[in-house]
Amino acid sequence: MKNKENNKGRIQLIIARTVAYIILIFLSFLCLFSFYMLIINSTRSNFQLQSGFTLLPKDHFFINLKNAWNDYSINIPRGMLNSFFIAACCSVLTTYFSALTAYGIHVYRFKLRRFAFYFIMAVMMIPPQVSAVGFIQLVYKLHLTNNYIPLIIPSIAAPVVFFYMKQYLESVLPMEMVEAARIDGSGEFYTFNHVVLPIMKPALAVQMIFSFVGSWNNYFIPALLLDKKELKTVPIMIAQLRSADYSKFDMGKVYMFILLAILPVMIVYIILSKAIIKGVTAGSVKG
Amino acid sequence: MKTKRGSGVSYAKYGYLFILPFFIVYTFFTLIPQLMTFYYSLFENYRDGLTQIGPNFVGLKNYVTLFSPDNTGSIGILKYFGNTLILWVMGAVPQVVIALLLAVFFTSYRMNLKGQQFFKTVIYMPNLIMAAAFAMLFSTLFSNVGPVKQVLLAHDLIDKSFDFLTMKVPVRVLIALMNFLMWFGNTTILLMAGIQGIDQNMFEAAEIDGANSLQVFFRVTLPLLAPILVYTVITAMIGGLQMFDVPQVLTNGKGTPNRASMTMVMYLNNFLTTSKNYGMAGAVSVVLFLVSTGLSLFVYNSLSSQYKDTAHKRDQI
Amino acid sequence: MKKLIALLLALVMVFALCACGAPKADSKTEGKVFNIYAWNEEFKGFFEKYYTVPEGVTVNWIITPSDNGAYQQKLDEALLNQASAAADDKVDLFLAEADYILKYVNSDATQDITKIGVTDFSNTYAYTVQAATDPNGVVKGVSFQCCPSALIYRRSIAQDVLGVSEPDEVQAKLDSWDKFNAVAADAKAKGYYMTASFAETYRPFSNNCTSAWVDADNKLQFDPQIEAWIAQTEDFIKNEYTLTAGIWDQEKNDQMFKDGKTMCFFGPAWYFNFCMGNAQDPEKGCSGDWAICEGPAAHFWGGTWLLAPAGTDNASMAADIMNTFINNEDVCSKLVSEENQFSNNQKVNAKFAEDPNYGNAFLGGQNDVALFSSMTSNIKWENHTIYDQLLNEGLQNNMQEFFKGQVDKETALKNFYNYVNETYPTIVTP
Repeated sequence: MKNKENNKGRIQLIIARTVAYIILIFLSFLCLFSFYMLIINSTRSNFQLQSGFTLLPKDHFFINLKNAWNDYSINIPRGMLNSFFIAACCSVLTTYFSALTAYGIHVYRFKLRRFAFYFIMAVMMIPPQVSAVGFIQLVYKLHLTNNYIPLIIPSIAAPVVFFYMKQYLESVLPMEMVEAARIDGSGEFYTFNHVVLPIMKPALAVQMIFSFVGSWNNYFIPALLLDKKELKTVPIMIAQLRSADYSKFDMGKVYMFILLAILPVMIVYIILSKAIIKGVTAGSVKG
Repeated sequence: MKTKRGSGVSYAKYGYLFILPFFIVYTFFTLIPQLMTFYYSLFENYRDGLTQIGPNFVGLKNYVTLFSPDNTGSIGILKYFGNTLILWVMGAVPQVVIALLLAVFFTSYRMNLKGQQFFKTVIYMPNLIMAAAFAMLFSTLFSNVGPVKQVLLAHDLIDKSFDFLTMKVPVRVLIALMNFLMWFGNTTILLMAGIQGIDQNMFEAAEIDGANSLQVFFRVTLPLLAPILVYTVITAMIGGLQMFDVPQVLTNGKGTPNRASMTMVMYLNNFLTTSKNYGMAGAVSVVLFLVSTGLSLFVYNSLSSQYKDTAHKRDQI
Repeated sequence: MKKLIALLLALVMVFALCACGAPKADSKTEGKVFNIYAWNEEFKGFFEKYYTVPEGVTVNWIITPSDNGAYQQKLDEALLNQASAAADDKVDLFLAEADYILKYVNSDATQDITKIGVTDFSNTYAYTVQAATDPNGVVKGVSFQCCPSALIYRRSIAQDVLGVSEPDEVQAKLDSWDKFNAVAADAKAKGYYMTASFAETYRPFSNNCTSAWVDADNKLQFDPQIEAWIAQTEDFIKNEYTLTAGIWDQEKNDQMFKDGKTMCFFGPAWYFNFCMGNAQDPEKGCSGDWAICEGPAAHFWGGTWLLAPAGTDNASMAADIMNTFINNEDVCSKLVSEENQFSNNQKVNAKFAEDPNYGNAFLGGQNDVALFSSMTSNIKWENHTIYDQLLNEGLQNNMQEFFKGQVDKETALKNFYNYVNETYPTIVTP
């Protein structure tokens, strides 16, 4: 009897695994294909790119790399460093303060609690395009152009990240834990930083990745606020290559730079996605 | 949670303290510009070349214009709202369903899939490519002389006049597909983190009780994941209503054909780019804001009450 | 506390005094920082090679790519804040393209360059000066290049269709739209396309409009030339004389290969020298099988103007730069010989036009400077408005849907009117 059930279970498992692998392989193919095209395109010259699509790489990879690297209007390592600095600051600030805000609203009972929550929920619905124009004018008035402050500080207030943290806390944080910490004499900030944050590791890692990528690829606002060559970020430089004049226009360089620009984000992703998995062990403390 | 109300009171000031930085920064950098936008929706305020016209107070005139039939006889904003909904449903429904499925695959100890790290990395990769670059690749693939058309033509599956990038259904499908590819990995990771946060003892207990994987999924995973799932649905909805970059780049901002793939935010953008028409743009924003707030609060309340009910029942059992 | 306030007040006053005092003290000497706004590096390259910056002046390039209209947005913001900007932050020179130059020329943001020292326009081409002249006849800028656009044809296909391939003979058979349309039918009969994009013939028509896009009451109107373009395109597409590809589409580019079936393209020097990559491909291309002639209507495409903003604190340096790029024969010669430009100096161009050794290999050795020189006097700059760029673009975009058969003509036009209402609220649509 038990043997039979075991067998049935095993067959089910095999079927489930097969289905899972088929779906995963199909989706991975779709994802990898776009990536593959990017790599292929980075091996082709501008003229070759004009003639459309091909599956086979050409021999222009190192020439494109050299051209992109030596382009005097852009400075790739500098751009990457700038982008990295902004993206790292944004992702740390946005996750920390969103978690802090979410914790504040989730754990404490105060008069304006419901108001604060619904307020943030409401403003989350406003498309960013709406405030962009006013924001630019504000920055001009404050003479904060060519400065990273208006690109970094606003990330403290990210309604979407807040909402995620709030939902996450709701599903993982038992109030008993906070109470226990209080009984142990832990201060409120200490509890948050040393008890709650470790539990939230997977959530923090996820949102860090997302905000890092979002900031890394952000073009429009930085393009309007930064014009000093040494402050420019990767997307601005890519746009600059794309709008190069006809005599210097080189799509090969553009694809090469796009490819290079993906590498750092991928490394960050791989590092942080480990933290999502490690989070499981931290989470089990609460049992 | 209800029982803790009494003990929380003396800590109220920490509540304010914890949320203070958020509100200060938000008010300064975002709320003020937003309020200005809403305020300006009551004004005639745009640029004609370099000449600033207005702001002149015009009451609700911008809203009246917005809801009046345009040159083609239809009410623009309703049409674009409809387009947005269609495009969103086409992309977001598969996105959430597939992501949920993958998240379960990845987190299931019984499945114990090989090569997880590889798959997890690969499915997130499209999100790393900038929307503009992604659309560029798609345009080459599906252009009138692109490989996809050539292959389909060679097998007599389509007519010579078939054009992916200018026909209504193919354009919409491409937009949905691109949105799906760009965001399903993202959603999977979110849900995965949510499942990782669930107490493993719950799964073990369910298995000891003899539950099969479907039962575990519906009785344990789904209810406990509910808060994160609500988040996913709502943000996917907001993201959908604010859909902009993919259709903008793929159709060059035109919403081809016959504006059938023009979304609300693309419409909003039309007012902002050249004429800096803050009056009309403000009016579109207000409408968009009201619609999405209404929808989200509805979804939030109905889903939240549902999962709170089930959670309650589970506690009783 | 009071002391602190007093100190602050004192500081503020010192600053205020400095701020007021600065321009007075410096009124004779010019600013030390020269800010140039541009959307790409083309002019920067020429500037750094051919212009000697006065000692002690730092040139600051503010380059904003034109993606999503970012360049104009940035420039507009700077120009509108020009009055309140610190001397070293003021715009001292900026670049604009033909398509939107009037937006700046017809505004108070630019100034009369004849008053700052640019007075000699005897060698520049007339249309380039007209383009930078406001309705009151005040000149606000100069172009450092001239971009007459020619009919670029495949010699071998012309030989097959027309029986001739030399520019003069081909021109004789294509010098009016009637002839052009008739030849299109002959080309089709031989299995060729006349053009590779429905948009190819737009500029030859639109540059010769006899009325502007809007009338005195700002009402949108269609010039007979625009109507003619629509009619011709409708006909061409119905008869398959052309493709429905856009002007930068790969489908059009593919037609530039050796095995391409298209006889005519349209474009200026920069187009065939830098943008016809497929034609120049060593294996699949057909370099040398090309030639240019004026075609059915004189027109131009592109060009970059240098404009002098009002309120610059470096007016004489701005003037000096302008003079260098239009009147310094040395520099203009180098633009032709080293940079493949058609310069905006008639004397210099004439020198190359008469040089029997000068020729372009891509065009089978034809002297393109000579042809362009003969064409330029026919180019008109008339009936332009500040709205041209996006009206031209919007019309083509919306009509393309009609040409491709997705909507009827009526709907395409109505969609165009919607576009106009959103883009330019002041224009009254039918």
